[in-house]
Amino acid sequence: MILKLEARAGILQPYLLLVPALSILVGFLLFPLMWNIYISMHNVSLTTILGEWKYVGFKNFSNLLHDPDFHKSLQVSLLFVGGSVALQFFVGMVLAVVLNQHIWGSNAFLALIIIPWTVSAVITGFSFKFIFSDSFGVLNYVLEQMGLNPVAWLSDPEVVVWTLVIANMWHGTPFTVIFITAGLFSISPVVYEAARIDGATKIKSFFYITLPLLRPFIIINLILITMWSVNFFDLILVMTNGGPLFASTTSSLYMYRQAFEFGLLSKGAAVGFLLIGLNLVLAYSYIRLFGRQEKTVEIRQR
Amino acid sequence: MIPIERTLLYSVIAVYLFITLAPLLWVLSTSFKPNQEAISFPPKLLPDAPTLDNYLFVLTDPKLVTSLFNSLLVSIGSTGLSVAVSALAGYAFARFEFKGKNLLMSLILGLFMIPVVINIIPLYIMLANVGLLNSLLALILTFQILIIPLNIFLLKNYFETIPKELDEAALIDGCSKLRALWHIIVPISMPGFLIAAILSFRFSWNEFVLPIVLSNKPDVMVFQVALYQFISLYRIDWGYLTAGINIALIPVVVLMLFAQKRMIRGLTLGAVRG
Repeated sequence: MILKLEARAGILQPYLLLVPALSILVGFLLFPLMWNIYISMHNVSLTTILGEWKYVGFKNFSNLLHDPDFHKSLQVSLLFVGGSVALQFFVGMVLAVVLNQHIWGSNAFLALIIIPWTVSAVITGFSFKFIFSDSFGVLNYVLEQMGLNPVAWLSDPEVVVWTLVIANMWHGTPFTVIFITAGLFSISPVVYEAARIDGATKIKSFFYITLPLLRPFIIINLILITMWSVNFFDLILVMTNGGPLFASTTSSLYMYRQAFEFGLLSKGAAVGFLLIGLNLVLAYSYIRLFGRQEKTVEIRQR
Repeated sequence: MIPIERTLLYSVIAVYLFITLAPLLWVLSTSFKPNQEAISFPPKLLPDAPTLDNYLFVLTDPKLVTSLFNSLLVSIGSTGLSVAVSALAGYAFARFEFKGKNLLMSLILGLFMIPVVINIIPLYIMLANVGLLNSLLALILTFQILIIPLNIFLLKNYFETIPKELDEAALIDGCSKLRALWHIIVPISMPGFLIAAILSFRFSWNEFVLPIVLSNKPDVMVFQVALYQFISLYRIDWGYLTAGINIALIPVVVLMLFAQKRMIRGLTLGAVRG
């Protein structure tokens, strides 16, 4: 009897070890995620949270479809995400490859380049708001000294998104550097040695060895930086608060403002639900574009 | 390596190092200027008469001091909690075979990809219903979703590098598995715990979206939110603000510089196997 109990406890043991972590994840991540759907189909505002919720079906969603401000926010998101991902990925990839050439000082350079990633989005936002300021910003001063025209970085509706993309690049690129560096470390030097003996040039080995072997890292990296850019709004909140007018209000900032500035929690939840959909579609298309089978294998083996 | 190639590599690095460091150094320099000088145009590279007044102002403002203290409390609390529960889970993944193990692991990594922003509205309503809104405990609990998946991943990988024979020997000597974890695995895994703790601290210290929604009353405000409120209340005083920025930066930058080499190795540990 005792033996049997012990054996059963043995089977249960790993699950027991998982209980604390999983209950937190279910309670504060999975449950809210599901509940979000319920909220988006009711009419909840900051004033009626604890009162009765009225069921409204898909009304919040259909309202969004006819909301020009929401359409505008999707456009802004598209520019912001596209610009951020392209810039962060390209610059991060170049830096990771350069730093992996075992040149003198590369470890110290890597340590310095990572610093912006340790800086919070809010702090990044403040710093760049200061540097990009239209009236006293140091950047415009430098441009003037170089004989160029100053730019209204934060108040020109055509420019402001790109200002945010630059700030986001500063903040986000180190992640790609770290991630791709980890990927480069995982490639055995023997492979390159073999290619060199076979007469491959450095450029050839990069395209025929490095890139294909990095593919799983590249896909996950792209998915992560895309999702982060889609959902990123603290930097924008600090730098422009979505302005001028709606020129820099991305969909995630739109969600935040609807919910907590105007108190329309259900409307915000509906935007949130659409954002999840957008994230999934983007992730899926990356996997379809670059991934094929390897992606699933890679994640499972981890 | 041919000289041209070397020059090219170093110039790429030099350009990006400038982009990385110039904003930080500019903010650092500004924090030692009085406010009129901070926004004077044309700007001066270095302060005329460096002053510590901005730092003194921030460090004596009661609201900001409270928020610094809150940030520290929340960051330490959430780091401790997440490392503890992630160690248990990581140990289960590293040393046990059980049904659904692979599925569960990829589910946890998948959850890491779900942005927290999307959850703020349900979390707000949920915490309002149980009366936890505007409490430091709410922050410690909700921060877990930012860090637990990463910590489980890091610690599981670290535990897997430890030879199984070590804890098996302890098991034969009559140790229970939990005691083997505590007496054998934990002491050897200190470097792994260190990386997990530093990353957790960084995420907790820097988090802004959750606290601005879930805990924005003066006595439970964290530093990032307090700085934000500080500028929305007064007209922006860049002297004070840049000093605040540097105070917020110091703990994480110091920790990360200390840990960065190990961190990359920690991430690579998982990568090599993957």
